[in-house]
Amino acid sequence: MQYEIKARPAASVVDIRMAAGESITAEVGAMIAMTSGMTVETTARSKGGQGGLMKGLKRMFAGENFFLNHFSSHSEGQSLILGPQLMGDIIHYPLNGTLIVQGSSWLASASTIEIDASWQGLGKALFSGERMFWVKCSGHGDLFLSSFGAIYEVEVDGEFTVDTGHIVAFEETLQFKIGKAGKSLIGSFLGGEGLVCKFSGHGKLFCQSHNPPSFGAALGPMLKTR
Amino acid sequence: MNSDVQFEISQRPDFGLISVQLEQGQKIYAEPSAMAAMDPTITLKAGLKGGLRKTLGRALGGESMVINTFTADRGPGEVIFAPGAPGDAMHYHLDMNTLLVQRGAFVAHTDGVELTGKWQGAKGFFSGKGLVLLQASGTGDLFFNSYGAILEMDVRGEYIVDTGYVVAFENTLNYQVDVLPGLKTGGKLKSFFFGGEGLVARFSGQGKIWVQTRAVNSFLTWVYPYRPAPKNNS
Repeated sequence: MQYEIKARPAASVVDIRMAAGESITAEVGAMIAMTSGMTVETTARSKGGQGGLMKGLKRMFAGENFFLNHFSSHSEGQSLILGPQLMGDIIHYPLNGTLIVQGSSWLASASTIEIDASWQGLGKALFSGERMFWVKCSGHGDLFLSSFGAIYEVEVDGEFTVDTGHIVAFEETLQFKIGKAGKSLIGSFLGGEGLVCKFSGHGKLFCQSHNPPSFGAALGPMLKTR
Repeated sequence: MNSDVQFEISQRPDFGLISVQLEQGQKIYAEPSAMAAMDPTITLKAGLKGGLRKTLGRALGGESMVINTFTADRGPGEVIFAPGAPGDAMHYHLDMNTLLVQRGAFVAHTDGVELTGKWQGAKGFFSGKGLVLLQASGTGDLFFNSYGAILEMDVRGEYIVDTGYVVAFENTLNYQVDVLPGLKTGGKLKSFFFGGEGLVARFSGQGKIWVQTRAVNSFLTWVYPYRPAPKNNS
């Protein structure tokens, strides 16, 4: 699989070239354009560990589901252009092991990678208000991550604290603990800082310059009620 | 590519800004609200252009019925056009041919270009908000814009583009609006097909397509859950 990331950093897309027999999985809606020698299959996965396809279909309208498109090339020289919803960058991560990715930052992964959207290691309840979920990616292959705004890499060695909304992905070698930014929970929220993730150990952490839930919260009050 | 007016597109690809240098007497026609700045030598006249039928056609195409005319009648001068959405801007020189432009992507054109709404019949109707097109033909300059960057594709054979990402294409290409193959099983749509998501335009033949790297609908889908909850009537 060959790829090129274009229009970086604000309006980036990834142009993936596939040989016969190769395949890739992306979220429904990520496909911008493609050549015609490809088959597409759609499946559903539930976010946050609540199983059942029927249940999933009902929850779809609440944005609780995760629909995946599997693109398989059946002839040489096929290509596919994928892009995220928000303005921002895309990076390629050669996965060999496990990476925890924030739901909105997972763009696509090779079909050799196992994706588990029900991973709740960071605690589900804490994030429900911020509409966050996590995708645990494991295996070996190409993984594409997107960010809201620019993306930067932090080589954690010791301790590092990030606001949860700024996390793109992190390696599983890192330990993490959810906490509040200030001393008291109320103080943290009043200060505008929400929940933070305290990482420790050694490993790579990818962060985004902008926080999608903060942007959503800034726009929300200007929209009509549901 | 040659052009009838002198122009420059700066701040690409994220914030494409079009500045056009008009010679004395030259005109340019633009979508209302596209003008960001202009020299005092230029006169702006708002109004309907091309008669009622064409005007209604444009309205059908999703562009406003009013087209603003900028004339450099007091000497040469500059007009700067800034599209509404953050994204790229593009110039295309029409030479006795036709370009189809997605609703909202039109910015401006020079004399010699005729802009009409093109009723797409069933294929456009089916798409709903998906693919509503304006038709630009004749000889002259055309400027259009996108949300996100613009990728230019040279199609030979077949190519598939999600309808929300089509900016413009040459009419030498045939197209058909279809559902993304995975959303159809045995000719029946899967139950979770909804809201225009997954509609694609299947192009065939030879010609150029301009594709944008972000879609407004996709962004709206993202922002939707942040709408305030209705107040309780208790």
